[in-house]
Amino acid sequence: MSALGTLAPAAVDSLGALASGGAPSVAASDVAAVASGLVVGTADWWFIGEPADWWFVLDNADYLGVGVLLTIGLTVASILFGFALGFPAGAVEVYGDGLLKRAVGTVGVVLRGTPIVVILIVMYFVVGVPQINFGVASLSPPVVAGILGLGLRSAAYQSQIFRATLASVDDGQLEAGRSVGLSRFEAIRYVVVPQALRRSIPGFQNEFTIVLKDTSIVFAIGLAELLTRGYDLFSERTTAVLEVILFISAIYFVLTFTTNRALDYLGTRYAIPEGEST
Amino acid sequence: MAGATRPTTVRERVSDADVSAGRLLLVAAGVLFWGWLLVSWVNRWLGGVVVPVGDPLVAPGLVEGALASLPALATYASDAAFVVQLTPNLAQGTWLTVVITGVSLVVGFFLAVPLAVARVYGRFSAWLSLAYTELLRGTPLLAQLFVLYYGLNLGRYVPGALSGVFPRDVVWVAILGFTLNGAAYQAEYIRGAVESVDEGQITAGRAIGLSKVESIYHVVLPQALRYAIPSWTNEFVYLIKYSSLAAFITVPELYYRADQVASETFRYTLIFVVTGAMYLALVITASKLMERVDDRVAIPGLGAARER
Amino acid sequence: MSDSDDGFLRVSDVSKWYGDEQVLHDVSFEMSRGDVTVLIGPSGSGKSTMLRCVNRLAEAQEGSILLDGEEVLSPDLDVDDLRREVGMVFQGFNLFAHLSAVGNVALGPRRVLGLSEREARERAEAQLERVGLGDQLDSYPAELSGGQQQRVGIARALAMEPKLMLFDEPTSALDPELIGEVLEVMHGLVDEGMTMLVVTHEMSFAREVADEIVFLDDGRVVERGPPDQLFERPEKERTGRFLERIASHD
Repeated sequence: MSALGTLAPAAVDSLGALASGGAPSVAASDVAAVASGLVVGTADWWFIGEPADWWFVLDNADYLGVGVLLTIGLTVASILFGFALGFPAGAVEVYGDGLLKRAVGTVGVVLRGTPIVVILIVMYFVVGVPQINFGVASLSPPVVAGILGLGLRSAAYQSQIFRATLASVDDGQLEAGRSVGLSRFEAIRYVVVPQALRRSIPGFQNEFTIVLKDTSIVFAIGLAELLTRGYDLFSERTTAVLEVILFISAIYFVLTFTTNRALDYLGTRYAIPEGEST
Repeated sequence: MAGATRPTTVRERVSDADVSAGRLLLVAAGVLFWGWLLVSWVNRWLGGVVVPVGDPLVAPGLVEGALASLPALATYASDAAFVVQLTPNLAQGTWLTVVITGVSLVVGFFLAVPLAVARVYGRFSAWLSLAYTELLRGTPLLAQLFVLYYGLNLGRYVPGALSGVFPRDVVWVAILGFTLNGAAYQAEYIRGAVESVDEGQITAGRAIGLSKVESIYHVVLPQALRYAIPSWTNEFVYLIKYSSLAAFITVPELYYRADQVASETFRYTLIFVVTGAMYLALVITASKLMERVDDRVAIPGLGAARER
Repeated sequence: MSDSDDGFLRVSDVSKWYGDEQVLHDVSFEMSRGDVTVLIGPSGSGKSTMLRCVNRLAEAQEGSILLDGEEVLSPDLDVDDLRREVGMVFQGFNLFAHLSAVGNVALGPRRVLGLSEREARERAEAQLERVGLGDQLDSYPAELSGGQQQRVGIARALAMEPKLMLFDEPTSALDPELIGEVLEVMHGLVDEGMTMLVVTHEMSFAREVADEIVFLDDGRVVERGPPDQLFERPEKERTGRFLERIASHD
């Protein structure tokens, strides 16, 4: 199956509908009005699209809603998977040595240097991920490939975040831990790690939104998350292309925005009092 | 980074030697990679002066024969021949990848600098700049490309002067998309650097009679743009990788061509590993290049302070 | 040194507020061409703010500042024109970090006065010679000591050929052993007849070179007069207390 081969030539004529749109649009979309105004240049540029097409979008809101859930689930699963691998990888890059450290470093460079779409395709076609059955629910191959691909790539970036923050904790902290009788591992675990994790929040915030946005790229392996469902919708009704894409873009924006604010809150909530000495 | 001392133990010295051997290998691979690309491109532009257009620079049969004669590598001989057969196609796709990335990055830069300056020094314009960057950084790049291509159907509105420069006019849509998106990310990096320039620098500029705009141009930006280089390199690398998304609006760049061949030949593993390696080579080239630039323009006496 | 008042700089009843807080209360003093006036006072007394009002790096809300007969506080005045005629030396040097010593000094002549690249460089070299840095022309700020940086700062201001020089605590950020070289350069300027308005805590320097000392406290001029009078026979009790405190720190 070629993801690109299945692309319908859907660059359709939504502009006619656009220019003639005289009635007020249903959803808040003045966002892209400027962009389309540049192209269309009609007097009523702030009305985007046809009301009928907006109704089409709203009628299919539940279809897109399932896509939103998939997007969120994919993001959370990938971030957790990425953390489970990325945190130890970061620790190895700081505290490890020899072959292991270099192996981790090299894998990281490769994962960070390859487009996510290539990673996803490799996971899907090359690794040939099986369907995973949990008895109650099962994960289809595209979902497993998506989590693996996004998660591995995220692990590579998360390892860099943790590498930097672990290294930023003063050496004296480790020494102080050792001096009260903790082993090296315990000192890292109970003294260094708690400080490093707090400092990781800003970098983590960035990573979270990157993964969230990049879930859209599982489009390449046909996983029906938000963007793919949007694509399916506007392929079905080609006059509603702009309405559908603006609608799903707005959803993505709300998701990234709320994620960022939530992590901002987490950052202030768990900040070490009196600021940090860096 | 800690431990910038001389290697003392034997083990460290051995690993140092490894590093320089690795370095040599990297340089050799780089020369081979770029040599192959440049010769392939030039060959195509000049209508096949080296080999007929569309043919690999080295005959696949030759490679296969050579490898087959080596016992250790004999098993890979047919795979290697297959890859060699693909090289003209991949080189052609890489050309578009490089051009799209390069043009978007440069044009995006010229949008990003005013955006960053407006964000730091503007009042109303600061809000406009914030809205722009938040919006473009808050939505997926692929969705933005879809808006431009499927939603606004910009492929049909490529101005005559630009039309025909590339095999498909949609390349311009991709360049527009990456430029607008990249400008938002670049602006964010540059803003951070502008804010890190000491306020006294502008005061001093004003005190010798420069206007505010002149102070920003002659005093703040020359410093800020230097400080921005390491983080700006990230954006360069991201753009190389994300340029692959242009494939989804039918731009025949590297990923598109790989996908096309893969779906015809079903040799996904080989093709995508090779494609991934090519992106990796582009990314490593970009970051090494920017490291060079950073060293080159470093302000004397300040280099060590910024080292991380 | 001139005794006659030619009204070169006339500061009258200048007041300034930051929000609700009044930081300058009706400050007045005069200087003649070639005069050296030193503003002294405890930190937070408004000395630096007063100095910055003269080249409009700070905006006074009330009063008048006449420089060579022109109203500095006039809203119609082109502040960039004003600043090219008034040089300023900062406490924190504020050298342009990305430019060499010559580059720092040449930027104003090149971009503001519109000299050619070559003329600007020649002028910069001459000014750096003047402050004793002829051997550091191509060094960058981060490669220079604090004292050297401040001398570049002085050369940068001088290169604009100002008719008035403002010094905002030019030695306060320096290690004690580096203060001397900067004061020496300032001495030289006094000898050349430069008109200088100086904020400093260096009392012996003030005493040696000032024509008039203005003592500010809480944004008000408490007392002003020739150094001998102010240091030996202060009229106000606050002046005496301040001078005693300073002396005990020396």
